[in-house]
Amino acid sequence: MTFFTTELMWFLDVYILLILGYAILIMSSYLVLAYLSTKELRGYLKKNSFVDYDVLLTSEFAPKLSLIAPAYNEGLTIEENVKSLLSLNYNNYQAIVVNDGSKDNSMEILINTYDLVLSDREFHPQIETKKIKGIYVSRNAAYKKLIVVDKENGGKADALNVGLNIAENPFVVCIDVDCILDKDSLLKLAKPFLESHGKRIIATGGVVRIANQCIIKNGRLVEVNIPDRMLPRIQVLEYLRAFLLGRMAWGRLDGLLLISGAFGAFDKEIAILAGGYSTKTVGEDMELIVRMRRYMLENKLPYAVSYIPDPLCWTEAPEDFSIFKKQRSRWMRGTIETLSFHKKMFMNPKYKLLGMLSVPYWTLFEFLAPGIEFIGLVITALFIIFGLLHWHFFILLLLFVYTFAVFFSVIALFSEEKTYHKYPKQADFFKLLMAAFIEPFYFHPLTVYAALVGYKEKIMGTKGWGEMTRKGFAKK
Amino acid sequence: MEEIWEIYKGGKWVVSFLTFSIYFFVAASFVLYLYIVASRNKKIRRERLRVEYNAEIEKLLASVIFEDVAFAQIKENKSFLVLFDTSFFREVLTESLINLHKNYEGIYAEKLEQFYKESGLIKDSFRKLKSLKWEIKCKGITELAEFNIKEAFDKIILYSKGRNKTLKITAINACIKLGGTRGIVHLVEHSDPIDDWTQLNIIGAFKKHDIGDTKGIELLLESQNTTVITLGLKLIKELKLTQKVPFVAQLASKATNTTIKYEAQSILQTLTV
Repeated sequence: MTFFTTELMWFLDVYILLILGYAILIMSSYLVLAYLSTKELRGYLKKNSFVDYDVLLTSEFAPKLSLIAPAYNEGLTIEENVKSLLSLNYNNYQAIVVNDGSKDNSMEILINTYDLVLSDREFHPQIETKKIKGIYVSRNAAYKKLIVVDKENGGKADALNVGLNIAENPFVVCIDVDCILDKDSLLKLAKPFLESHGKRIIATGGVVRIANQCIIKNGRLVEVNIPDRMLPRIQVLEYLRAFLLGRMAWGRLDGLLLISGAFGAFDKEIAILAGGYSTKTVGEDMELIVRMRRYMLENKLPYAVSYIPDPLCWTEAPEDFSIFKKQRSRWMRGTIETLSFHKKMFMNPKYKLLGMLSVPYWTLFEFLAPGIEFIGLVITALFIIFGLLHWHFFILLLLFVYTFAVFFSVIALFSEEKTYHKYPKQADFFKLLMAAFIEPFYFHPLTVYAALVGYKEKIMGTKGWGEMTRKGFAKK
Repeated sequence: MEEIWEIYKGGKWVVSFLTFSIYFFVAASFVLYLYIVASRNKKIRRERLRVEYNAEIEKLLASVIFEDVAFAQIKENKSFLVLFDTSFFREVLTESLINLHKNYEGIYAEKLEQFYKESGLIKDSFRKLKSLKWEIKCKGITELAEFNIKEAFDKIILYSKGRNKTLKITAINACIKLGGTRGIVHLVEHSDPIDDWTQLNIIGAFKKHDIGDTKGIELLLESQNTTVITLGLKLIKELKLTQKVPFVAQLASKATNTTIKYEAQSILQTLTV
């Protein structure tokens, strides 16, 4: 019995130390990333205050861009969304809307609104895709930048590949058609392509923010608000943390593994050479970046991925749990698929920082974290059942994690306050602060649950996105 | 040391560590919260002050432009002098002056330049050039260039040869405004590559400031640095300098670098068609 007790005590000690060690590792990495991000952000903002983006507007030497916007059953909003795509502050661009076999009247609306006619435009597909039914251009000179492709349904990645095949310009900007773009977003996204110092810039990405309850006028965001509902409100805070305190640091280290599918620009040649978007994963945005980076590293080509911290793109976050669960489980499936496709990179010095830091970080803290948390919960529940739990220590540990979570959110609010100050209303600030206190009890368990659903779906072999319905933005 | 080891061995450190961390996170969150509140209040106060100052400045500059009031007269107003002593007021005044100067030409612009010199704001700008912070230097350069202070050219051109890219672009732009092609001919000797963004800014500065005298641009084509030659070719193309065609033709025939040769031929074609 004594032996059993000694063994058990030893197991308890080891378990506690492991949990504590993991928590400390995660927290320290967050703090290091936050420090690097803040430093980088301050430098960026200082430099940016002297940047004159107008030189890009007036020069024929500005990078030529092709916008690719896949659309599936977007009939309700497509007219306005395309209009906003055509009114961006940039000259050297074309907008390619790919209708991915919509079952609604999207195509009819586009043809009638933009006076489209079938074109006999020739192109040489370099990536295999589903069949194209027709390529349309407008008879109206005002819409000369617009190309609409009607194709058989093949999913988002397939639609983006069609765009890559058709794009005439050397850089492509892949966007979600229902996102609200800042009017200068293309100017900011294009600039890094001109700044390569002996390295080829293969991709640039910007910050995505939550637009729920914000006011939209003529396809532009005119008033920023914090959502009243708790689920989207906490996502505002979550996006602030991720983009202001995380990705900026990864961008600085040149270890960024993800450029949001909602808004990112790519070097078309490299994207095609790397094989284009993969239709085998639901995390095609992350997978493409990893593959492009891998291509450059394996071919020993100097390159960089650039990250712009300005809020360039605003998107609608899920407001109810069922949609949220679908989104997050899909994100988890995408992460698992990407990490598994590229498992060769894990701790492989051949892939430099990417293999030695970025991929292990994503594996340990993005892919495994929900699982580890779940196992921890189960073991804790067993401790409680068998009366083994040291309550004093348990409460201390809970408080430790909770206070850190609140502290980290406050750092994000502080960073936002000192940089973009997009939420100037006092009420909005207090709403976000309140969200920081509630998040660990309410939102965090939901994200863990959704991630576990993602594990399950991956094991069961679930494919596809599932239906994602949106509420739509408030208009003025 | 032994005591610390005992604490570690006894496992008591875990509780102490957790307790300390909790206190630290709570205290740090509270401090950050106070900082955010203070920063917000400061912003609100500054915004209110800015509105007040702008109202005063509008009246003041209107009298300078339209009523020919000299700074010596303005100085007699004691309340103005009190305001003028505060750095924030001078900052807002300089900003307003720059904005106004951008919108006016001719005699009105000259009056504003005169005010800038007489008021001593010019000294502030020169002082900014001596700052150790590059962003302050950039501010000073922008101000001096806006008010066409030609005497600043020699000082500013030094910064255009530095390594800080933002400072370099700001300085080259200012030099182009103040000295035309004199602001870029030194690039012929430039050894580092000039990236496309810097090139675009230089071309933009020529277009923006409507530099008529383009004598010397052809010198860029003689550089050993291929990015400088590319800049020269782009300038010739974008500004449609047909008088430089013989230099481009010479480059097209003599260049050993195939990219440069191709660029020169392409520009030659554009300019001669």
